Amino acid sequence: MVKALELLSNPVELKAALKLKYIRQPLFGPRDAVSPELTRCYQLLKATSRSFAAVIQELHPELRDAVMLFYLVLRALDTVEDDMSIEPQLKISVLRSFAEKLNSTDWSFDGNSPEEKDRIVLVEFPCILHEYHQLRPQYRRVIQDITDKMGNGMAHYILDEQFNLQGVQTVKDYDLYCHYVAGLVGEGLTHLIVEAGFGEPDIDTNPQLYESMGLFLQKTNIIRDYAEDLADGRSFWPREVWSKYAEKLPDLGDVQHRQKGVNCINELVLNALSHVIDIFTYLSSINEQTTFQFCAIPQVMAIATLALVFNNEKVLTENVKIRKGTTCELILKSRTLHGCISIFRHYVRDIKSRVPVHDPNYLKVNIQVARIEQHIEEMYQDKLPEGVKPRETIYYKKAQKRFKQDGKVLPLEQDEEYKFNMALTVLFTIVSAIYFYVK
Amino acid sequence: MSNECPILLIGGAGFLGLHLVQQFYDLTPRPRIHVFDVRPIPEKLSKQFTFDPREVIFHQGDLTSSEDVSNVLLKSKAQVVVHSASPMHGNAQNVYEHVNVKGTRNLLDVSKKFGVKAFVYTSSAGVIFNGQDIHNADETWPIPDIAMDGYNETKAIAENMVLKANSVEENFLTVALRPAGIFGPGDRQLVPGLRNVAKLGQSKFQLGDNNNLFDWTYAGNVADAHVLATQKLLNPETALKVAGEAFFITNDEPAYFWALARTVWKADGYIDENVIVLSKPVALLAGYLSEFFSKLLGKEPGLTPFRAKIVCATRYHNVTKAKELLDYEPRVNIEEGIEKTLAWMDEKI
Repeated sequence: MVKALELLSNPVELKAALKLKYIRQPLFGPRDAVSPELTRCYQLLKATSRSFAAVIQELHPELRDAVMLFYLVLRALDTVEDDMSIEPQLKISVLRSFAEKLNSTDWSFDGNSPEEKDRIVLVEFPCILHEYHQLRPQYRRVIQDITDKMGNGMAHYILDEQFNLQGVQTVKDYDLYCHYVAGLVGEGLTHLIVEAGFGEPDIDTNPQLYESMGLFLQKTNIIRDYAEDLADGRSFWPREVWSKYAEKLPDLGDVQHRQKGVNCINELVLNALSHVIDIFTYLSSINEQTTFQFCAIPQVMAIATLALVFNNEKVLTENVKIRKGTTCELILKSRTLHGCISIFRHYVRDIKSRVPVHDPNYLKVNIQVARIEQHIEEMYQDKLPEGVKPRETIYYKKAQKRFKQDGKVLPLEQDEEYKFNMALTVLFTIVSAIYFYVK
Repeated sequence: MSNECPILLIGGAGFLGLHLVQQFYDLTPRPRIHVFDVRPIPEKLSKQFTFDPREVIFHQGDLTSSEDVSNVLLKSKAQVVVHSASPMHGNAQNVYEHVNVKGTRNLLDVSKKFGVKAFVYTSSAGVIFNGQDIHNADETWPIPDIAMDGYNETKAIAENMVLKANSVEENFLTVALRPAGIFGPGDRQLVPGLRNVAKLGQSKFQLGDNNNLFDWTYAGNVADAHVLATQKLLNPETALKVAGEAFFITNDEPAYFWALARTVWKADGYIDENVIVLSKPVALLAGYLSEFFSKLLGKEPGLTPFRAKIVCATRYHNVTKAKELLDYEPRVNIEEGIEKTLAWMDEKI
C-alpha cells in the first residue's frame, strides 16, 4: 500500500513502472532444449538473487550461461567467506584452492552452517561444474582466473589482523579492498564480453576502465550501508577520510556530530565521482544491446543512490534507498548511451546544486562535477561555432559510434510509448462509457 | 636557457609581469632578466615573490616609442622578448589601440630588426568571445567578426600580427598564449572585485542558473606557460611545432561561476544560506536599469548588461594543445591559487 501511494505521488515513475511490467519486451526470449543441470543452475540463481536472475535472463544467449555460471561460482566463494561458523584455517584452505576445484566434476562442500541460506550452491556444486564444463574454454579460463584471484584476496583479508580489527585504513586500501570485492568481477565480466565480441578490446586491455565500473558500484554501496555495516560490527569507510571528522567511526552517527558525518559522506561521494568518466568510456565501448543494458543499469542505479546519500544525514542512522518507481524509470531510460549520460548529468548537477558552501570540499565537488560535464561536452561536441570541426578524440569517436546504435533502440521506446498511450486511451474510454451509462 | 640568453619582459613590472619575473628567475641556470615598463618594479613586493629585485635590470620607457624599444634591445641584447603589457579592462578605446595595437606593432618591428629569436605574446582567451556561450573551446574556434569590446578586439588584432610575424627564414619565432580569467597576487580586478561584492552585501544574489562553466587561471601557471613556450621556441627540436601557434592557457579546472565566487566569499567568512536567484533575462534587465539610473545620477554602476552577460555566459576551454605541445600542466590548483591571492591581499601592499 505504501508502495502504491509512493508511485501515485510520482506519475512519471508510475508510468515507467507500468511500462516496465506490462509493455517492455526482452530482446531475447527464454531458450529451449535445456539440460536438467542448466535448468537447476538457473533455479539456484533465482534462489540466491532474484533481481540479478532477472537481469541475466535478458542477456544475449552467447553470454547468458557464462555470466550465470560466473555469478554462481562467485556466490559459492562468497558463501564460504561469509560464514563465520567455518574454522578460519579450513576457510582459507577452501578459498585458496577454490579455482582448482573448477577442474573437477564432482567436488562439493558441506561445511556451511545449516542457517547459511546460500549453502545449497555449494552442496549442489557438481551441478554447476557440469554446466561450467559445457562452456567454451575461453570462458572457463576467465571464470577460473578471477576465482583464483578473488579466493586469494578473500583469504588475504581473513589473515589481515589490522583490517579485521580496525577496518580500511587509507584511500588506497579502500580502492584495493573494492578491487577485490568488485573490481575483479568487473574484470571477469569484461573479459567475457570482449571474448564474445560484444565490446571493444581496449576495455579489456585498460584495467582502469573495468576497475572503475566495479569500484563505483562498491563504493556507492559502502557509503550507503554505513549504519547497517556498523550494526554488523564491520566498517569499510577509510580511516584516512573519516578520521578528519571524528575520533571513532560510530561517533559520526551521534546527534552532535551529525554535520561532521554529513561532511564525511560528501567527501566519500566526491571520491566515488572520480570513476564516472571511465564509466562513460566503458559504456561507449559496448556494441551489443543486451550487454549494454546489463552494464548500464547498475551504474545508473549507483549514481541515483549517490545523489540520494549526498548531504543526507539519514545515511548515518538508517538504510536509504531509491524509490522503486525511480528504478523503473532508470531501467527504461538507460537503454541508450544518450539516456545514461542524461541520467548521470542530471544527478551530478543535483549533487552540485546541493553541496553546502560551508562543506570543506565545496569547490572540489564543483570542480569534479565540472570535469564530468566537460567530458560529456567532449563526447558530444555539438555546440561548436560554424566552420569548426569536432576534435576526433577517442572519446568522441566511441560515443558517436555508440550513438548510432542508440538509433536502433528509439523505435522500441516509441513503440512502448504508443502502446502505453493506447492502453490509457482505452481505459479512459471504458471508464467514461461506464460513467455515462450509470448516469 | 642561460645567462648568455637574456630575456626582456615587456610589462614585467605589472601583475602578470611580476609572476613572469619570478618564473624565469627560478630557472636553472637563471637567464639574465630585463624588465621594460612605464614604471619600475614596486618597492614593496608580496612575500610570495622570492626573486631578488636587484638582480633584475629595469628599463623605463614607452612601448610605442621606437627609440625606447631600440635602446632597451641594444642594452639588454635580449634574445627573447615576452610581451605581457596591456591596459586593464575598463579603459577607453584609444588606450587599447595605442598599447595593444600600435605598441605591439612597434615591438615586433624593432625586435625583428635587432635579431630577437623568440617572441612570446600574452594574448587573451577573450579573443574568441563575443557574448555567446563557449563550450570547451579549442584553438580551432574562430575569432568573431564583431568583437565583444575594444579590449578583446585589440588583443585579437595584436595576436594576429604576432602570429603573422612568425618567420623561420628570418629566425624570428613567435607564439601567442591565451590565458583565461587570470588571478593571483597582484590581481586588482577579479578576486578583489568579488571580495568587494560580498562587502557590499550583494553575495546573496545569483545571476543565472549557475550551470555555466568558467575558467580561471592562476597567474603563476600563466607565467609557467610563458617559460615553457620560450623554451620550446629556443629548442630546435620543438620550435617548428609551436612557432606561429596560439594556445589557450587555463587551470584545466573549469568550475561553475558562482562556486568560484562563493569560495572567495567563504574564505572571508561570507556564507549566504538563502540565495536569491535572478534568471539571465532578469539579470540583463537589471543591468540595463542599473546602468540607466547610474548615468542619471552620475555614478559608476555596480551591475551593467556587460557584467550580467559575462557572469551568465558559459566560457571554458580545452587546453589539450598546450598540454601536448608545450608540456603545460597547471602546478597551482584553483583552491591554492585563491588562498595565495587572499594571503597577498591581507598583506595590504
